[in-house]
Amino acid sequence: MEYVRRVEQSVSLLALLAIWAVGTMIVATDLSLPTPPQVATAFVEAATGSYFWGEVVRSTFRVYLSYVIAAVVAIPLGLLIGRSEIAEDLLFPSLEVLRPIPPIAWFPALTIILFNQENIVRFIIFLAAFFPILLNTIEGVQGIEAEYSQAASSLGASSSQSLRHVVLPGALPSIYTGLVNAMGLAWVSLVAAELLSSTGLGYYLWNAFVSNAYPDVIVAILVIGVLGYVSSALVRWLGARQLPWLQSETV
Amino acid sequence: MSEHDTNDERTDADERSTDRTDRPDSAGDEEVRSWTESSGTGTVNIQDLTKVYGTDGDELVAVDEMDLHIEAEEFVTVLGPSGCGKSTVMECVAGYLDPTEGEVLVNGEPVDGPDPSRGVVFQENRLFPWKTINENVRFGPQMRDSVDEGRIETLFDQMGLEGFEESYPHELSGGMQQRAELARLLANDPDIMLMDEPFSGLDAMTKELMQEKLLDVWEDDDRTVVFITHDVEEAILLADRVVVMTARPGQVKDVIDVDLDRPRDTNVVTSDRFNELQRRASESIHDEAERAMEQAEGRA
Repeated sequence: MEYVRRVEQSVSLLALLAIWAVGTMIVATDLSLPTPPQVATAFVEAATGSYFWGEVVRSTFRVYLSYVIAAVVAIPLGLLIGRSEIAEDLLFPSLEVLRPIPPIAWFPALTIILFNQENIVRFIIFLAAFFPILLNTIEGVQGIEAEYSQAASSLGASSSQSLRHVVLPGALPSIYTGLVNAMGLAWVSLVAAELLSSTGLGYYLWNAFVSNAYPDVIVAILVIGVLGYVSSALVRWLGARQLPWLQSETV
Repeated sequence: MSEHDTNDERTDADERSTDRTDRPDSAGDEEVRSWTESSGTGTVNIQDLTKVYGTDGDELVAVDEMDLHIEAEEFVTVLGPSGCGKSTVMECVAGYLDPTEGEVLVNGEPVDGPDPSRGVVFQENRLFPWKTINENVRFGPQMRDSVDEGRIETLFDQMGLEGFEESYPHELSGGMQQRAELARLLANDPDIMLMDEPFSGLDAMTKELMQEKLLDVWEDDDRTVVFITHDVEEAILLADRVVVMTARPGQVKDVIDVDLDRPRDTNVVTSDRFNELQRRASESIHDEAERAMEQAEGRA
């Protein structure tokens, strides 16, 4: 069963590659679009130099740093808002006004406030990751049936024990859903922010575009895709490890 | 656990109590409780209890000036048609709900929120899905840093849960889940067990086994049990007294003393006396069930 699924997943990726190869090498040859062999050559060239890897590390570090900060702020805040009506009334309306603003739209305003380009990029990624984690935490807390909290207090749990043993573990599946979404959005906004700055993979992509090095554009796109995929997979794996009771439920 | 003027309270309570039964097994050793340092407290006094849901114009009187006194270590079943407010009464005793009027006294003290001395079991199990059976069962003592390993082990043995320590609740059958829930409650050594139709979701065979298990547990330790059910046979099989409730708004309609010998097992249901009691309870609840049905139709 597991084996069959692996084959199916490989077929999906190979089909994508095949469509690309047929499209650029047979159907639309006169548009001089980057073909798979050209991109492979460009990748090997980039991968043998240190500049490219430096940008990969820089971008990955930016995502992970901002992402962890977002989680550390959003999860406790979400627990608070989910548990306390007062906190919800005081905080939630403002947060809901800020939420629909695309993180990248903050870029001009942030140049006035933060000056430092590194911090601007970090902050934009933070914003992108923050809201999905926050909302899913709140939803997770409010979704726990009151019966579990009642049961805990009838068994003698104090409210802080109830938070630790009932609210947090009960909300954890939803929190992980938020964390997985947030990881994807963090990479999306990283690229957007870096297009406007002068370092990182996003800038590498933009620079390749303006220098007409189209195979390098595709290299950057694919590397960002793979990094995003691996990062999300990592979060999923952590989630599965922490939620054995959910995992066995689906088996 | 609060401990105070138990004697005064009992005298007071005895005067109020109209239907008293002498339990055949209530020998002089009642004060000796295994596994616990507290003495046999556990009186429940429901006084003029009224609970109204909703606000002006759209009110629903669930319970109306209900009076009931339950003695320490007594097994009382509350029998009523669906929607008669019996769960509401129990939630007031558990401390989940505040009465609109009147009060609930436990050991003479007004109920102020949930307390580990009042354990609760519901129809749907409320085991924490994210904890293993072992973590669930020891949850109460663990919260107070007073886990007694020997006692936990005894409970696993008594409830037939050995080998399932590391399982998660959803991996167990319905009957096993209820046994685990009962073990979790007993681990806390409550004075009072509040049970809201705990077996009504089980198949007939499992239900019978659980009833016998509960009787065993209750014979062993001195606890007060308030057991809600809509099953006449179950009500009589288990109880010292059956309290029949009226259709909504809930009140005590009838109290039936069950003078069947203890210890009992499920064979008692074939005896003549059992049938007599069952007939009486069925007659008492029949009109109320009809009224409850009319109410339900009226609302639909």
